[in-house]
Amino acid sequence: MVDEEQQKSDAPETPAAAPAKGKGMWIGIVVVVIVIVILLVAVFGGLFGSPPVRKYALDLWYNNDGHYGDTEDELATVLKNQIEECGKIQVTLRNDPWAVYRTNWANGLMDVFLLGWYPDYFDSDDYISPFLSTSGAASLGSFYTNATVDGWITEEQTTTNPSIRDQRFADIQGALADDVPYVPLFSGNAHVAYVNGITDVELHPVSFKWFIMDKPGSTEINGSTSDRIISLDPASAYDYFSIEVINQVFDTLLVYEPVSATIMPGLAREVPTVANGFVSSNGLNYTFRLKDNLFFHDGSELNATVVARSIDRAIRLDIGGSAAFLLYDVGALGRAAANGNNTQVGRMTVDASDRNITFHLPRAVSFFNDLMAFSVSAPVPWTYSQTGEQPSTVPAVVGSGPYRLTAHTANIVLELDRYAGYHSPTLYATMGIPIIPVEDKVTINIRSTATALKQDIETHASSGIDVVYRTLTPTDLTDLSTRAATLGITVDVGASPQIRYLVINVNRVPEEQVRQAIAYSVDRAEVDSLVFASTVEPLYSMIPSNMPYTDPVFNTVYGGLQNCTSANNLLTQLGFSIRLSGIWIARDR
Amino acid sequence: MGGGRSILAYAVTRIALAIPMLLILLTAIFVILRILPGDPVLALWGGNQPGPDVIADARARLGLDKPIHVQYWDYMTSVLRGDLGVSIGFQYRGSPVWTEIGERLPATLELTIASMVVAVFAGVTPGVIAGSRRDSKLDVAIRIYSTIIYAIPIFWLGLVFQIVFAVWLGWLPANGRWTGGDVPAARTGMFTVDALLEGSFDHFGKAVRHLVLPALTLGLVLGGFFTKTVRASMLQTVGADFSDAARARGIPEWRVVYYHAFRNALPPVVTVLGLQFAILFAGAVLTERTFSIDGIGNLLLTAITSKDMTVIQGVIVVYATIIVTISLVIDIVGAMIDPRVRL
Repeated sequence: MVDEEQQKSDAPETPAAAPAKGKGMWIGIVVVVIVIVILLVAVFGGLFGSPPVRKYALDLWYNNDGHYGDTEDELATVLKNQIEECGKIQVTLRNDPWAVYRTNWANGLMDVFLLGWYPDYFDSDDYISPFLSTSGAASLGSFYTNATVDGWITEEQTTTNPSIRDQRFADIQGALADDVPYVPLFSGNAHVAYVNGITDVELHPVSFKWFIMDKPGSTEINGSTSDRIISLDPASAYDYFSIEVINQVFDTLLVYEPVSATIMPGLAREVPTVANGFVSSNGLNYTFRLKDNLFFHDGSELNATVVARSIDRAIRLDIGGSAAFLLYDVGALGRAAANGNNTQVGRMTVDASDRNITFHLPRAVSFFNDLMAFSVSAPVPWTYSQTGEQPSTVPAVVGSGPYRLTAHTANIVLELDRYAGYHSPTLYATMGIPIIPVEDKVTINIRSTATALKQDIETHASSGIDVVYRTLTPTDLTDLSTRAATLGITVDVGASPQIRYLVINVNRVPEEQVRQAIAYSVDRAEVDSLVFASTVEPLYSMIPSNMPYTDPVFNTVYGGLQNCTSANNLLTQLGFSIRLSGIWIARDR
Repeated sequence: MGGGRSILAYAVTRIALAIPMLLILLTAIFVILRILPGDPVLALWGGNQPGPDVIADARARLGLDKPIHVQYWDYMTSVLRGDLGVSIGFQYRGSPVWTEIGERLPATLELTIASMVVAVFAGVTPGVIAGSRRDSKLDVAIRIYSTIIYAIPIFWLGLVFQIVFAVWLGWLPANGRWTGGDVPAARTGMFTVDALLEGSFDHFGKAVRHLVLPALTLGLVLGGFFTKTVRASMLQTVGADFSDAARARGIPEWRVVYYHAFRNALPPVVTVLGLQFAILFAGAVLTERTFSIDGIGNLLLTAITSKDMTVIQGVIVVYATIIVTISLVIDIVGAMIDPRVRL
């Protein structure tokens, strides 16, 4: 038995089915014609018509969890708009929290991204070698490599001859402007707000000094900050506030003058130079002679052996996230497994008097003195932990600086009291500060938001806060500046050594013209006014304007204002829309 | 008593169930944190980056170079021993997680307890009044108030309080838990309690002054929810047969309300109270941010941004433990209040 469906399929075609087949054929013909017409229009349109608007597409990344404050999204948006305004680049904004952001740039996953830099040592090299040396550029995400520039960097690092350094820094900055692996944007501002009448509140470029402030008629100063203590062990600290406090409590061989970044003797009798004979003529040996009667807060002696042991300790512990690499890598002191992970044997020698220590470097390091002024090289007492980080509590924190840490409630408050046995109370006497520390006590309250700082100084009459330092938002800063007279406060804004810049990954944006076009597109003045309420300074080189050897190459080459004409000329020359077999295709990714 | 045994058995069962729940939660968090992108070790040096050998060394010291299953086993066995490990993020690097939690948990507990006190007083009393005077003008006013106060964002109310009471009037501190170096000697970490323990009423007053605005902010918002809950529960009990029976016996209305209706309205309210205590911890995050209080919520936020896996896991263990404990206590208290549970 055949089922009904089978019967239907086996049945001969009925006459009624014929028109349906004819209709389908016509539909097919129409479809084919339409396709042919579309293809012809596409081909001839491509050959004879105007090519469609094609833009170079790139991603602009920024951090979204406050690593650079609350303005990062605004900054990224303004930059995106500026680059897109010229019309030939399309920017997509992307963002990630810091840990992810950090990983992405190390893995070379971002085209263009925003970063900031705070120098470790106050030498122009710290604005150059970390960015433009092949190894530095790889770690900072631009992946720029230029053997000639590497050679120039080695030269400026290993000579103390100013004219040679001048020439090499000029060469390097010229290459920076030509190759554009970075676009310098602006120098950050430093700011402090304090109650009228307090004096010597200095926005020092390296180290904010609480121990020079004077509040007439008072023996103590109360401050607040939104920073937090990470560690008060010099071998571990590598963040601004921890180092700021360490600089009040510990001392280093060399220190900075109260206002400028000029180095002067700290624990050492003099700053070693070739001229005074304490640096060898080849720049490989630095000798520091210690002052007499140096003692830590616990009464233990501070001698040359302690200095050497402290540096060995920082290098040996090499605490993750610390600045130890500045000693054994950047400072060339080395780290030898055969010597218990200390510096290599013979790199530091102490003479029989135990007052003099000499560093024997395998290569000249022109900024070695700056490294000896950095907190990581601060001597610590013999009793400090040799196997790990020293706790940041009282009485574990023991330095030799003008203040002692006498109270520390984590994330709440810390208190500093005068160290009566400070070795050089007249250190700054010739600079208008007769005795340090000036006040007997400094209390720094730790807040967790920028808004809290504004409130602290707004309500200083009831809060008792005299000084707020780091970091007010641009809006709050402007507001407080406007109302300063009414509130009875002073708001100082000054240059900061921090720089902000765009990193361009040269592997992902290999076209030099595109990178140069971005440099033409940026309008730093607009960034300043729109995002930072006119509180930052435009930056035209990676070396800020207040540093030696700076050359505003981006101003010279790309101008101070947005230049879309030049940007677009470059992109047109690049021809990223190319013609292939009569069909226009886009090269953008 | 049979009822007593029942509650005990119930409690033991709940505790027994809580342990695998915590293990599952911990496992899930462990896996999720390792699937998510981001390398906390690279972030240790901020924008700088030392050589690869230094980074590899740091990774090895933190045990992050081991296979994932070995890391998991190490971590879980450590947790079972009560060791939550050390922080691997930039902010708290190397510090024991227990230490970081221990420094901040008292701040959060102090805030949540104070807020709960505010919420109970500011929430339950209006709820009872509204529930016992249905559709009166007072009832309508309380309903409007409770809706508005519950809908207000915590951070906004906090900012308003800061501006009015701290900046304009200067009555109370605008932020923080303490100002100055004379912090009470730490016994519990809760400044109000520590001040009392050291016998200093000045310090107690100072701690309370710092606590008033954040506790009011969080407590009032939560109180709005309590008002609604209590009112709804009261509406049922005020009109219930046993209340009518009490009225029929000539018992005064206020006694009917407070001794009959309110008592019977309590069980659902207590349950909600307990659950809200858990929610308070979430609200405390916002309040801590607004008032610059470095509590456990702030710790969690910071740890998340730096992908500090051990701290995140540690805080979640503590949160979960607290919430499970509170739930347990509330269930037992609920059973004690409501005789039907013991039937």
